[in-house]
Amino acid sequence: MNGPLTATVIIGAVVLTLGSLVGAIRDRAMGMILLIGFAVLELAVLVQAGVIIAAVVGGAGPQDKVTLFGYVAGTAVIPPVGVVLALAERSRWGTAILVVAGFAIAVMTARMLQIWQGVA
Amino acid sequence: MSPRGEAAAIGTGPGRALVAVYGVFALAAGARAAVQIATRFDQAPLAYSLSAFAAAVYILLTVALAVSARRTALVACLIELAGVLVVGTLSLADPAAFPRATVWSGFGSGYLFIPLVLPLVGLFWILRGRRPAR
Repeated sequence: MNGPLTATVIIGAVVLTLGSLVGAIRDRAMGMILLIGFAVLELAVLVQAGVIIAAVVGGAGPQDKVTLFGYVAGTAVIPPVGVVLALAERSRWGTAILVVAGFAIAVMTARMLQIWQGVA
Repeated sequence: MSPRGEAAAIGTGPGRALVAVYGVFALAAGARAAVQIATRFDQAPLAYSLSAFAAAVYILLTVALAVSARRTALVACLIELAGVLVVGTLSLADPAAFPRATVWSGFGSGYLFIPLVLPLVGLFWILRGRRPAR
């Protein structure tokens, strides 16, 4: 896995989680900034998925590839689903959904890194 | 689409955020159970079967909340609460029976104890919604 890219995904997801939390607390529905933020996050997640798949094809990676790809697929699905739900729920609770989505991406990416390094 | 009575639908507002949380857990528990059962079921059949059961409960709850099926959601939520309490207790009382972790092991300690808090929040939300909204 590409260290700087993974760090970018995790930090970006944490920043978006906090931004969404602030929005939810301030009783705001999802705005343009969060929408674009999650679009960029999805892009970064997809690039990371590409890097991982390329590395595994090249012979790198952990023993447990099934779990790794489970996380790759999961992280790729979550931002778009979160945004769609947030668009359906135009209230602070839609923004709260983005808190869940952003946090899940951060945790799952960290887990993915652990699996890649064979820590867990 | 959703069977709504006189009471407010449980699949909108805060309920939609709850759907998102349950959705993440359905994904997490479902993927985990699928991988465990597909690749190493013989190592811990009880734990992995419970993982699959937990996943099924989370998936059922996600759908039931999303379509505001109140009674189904209520029953599933009670099963979820019973599951996390029973499995959590057993995993601490008899660790040998659970050589591999499930979502509900140690009351969900591997998942920030969210599995323990979630059914309480869910029950609160489902029962609270019986009254007309605000």
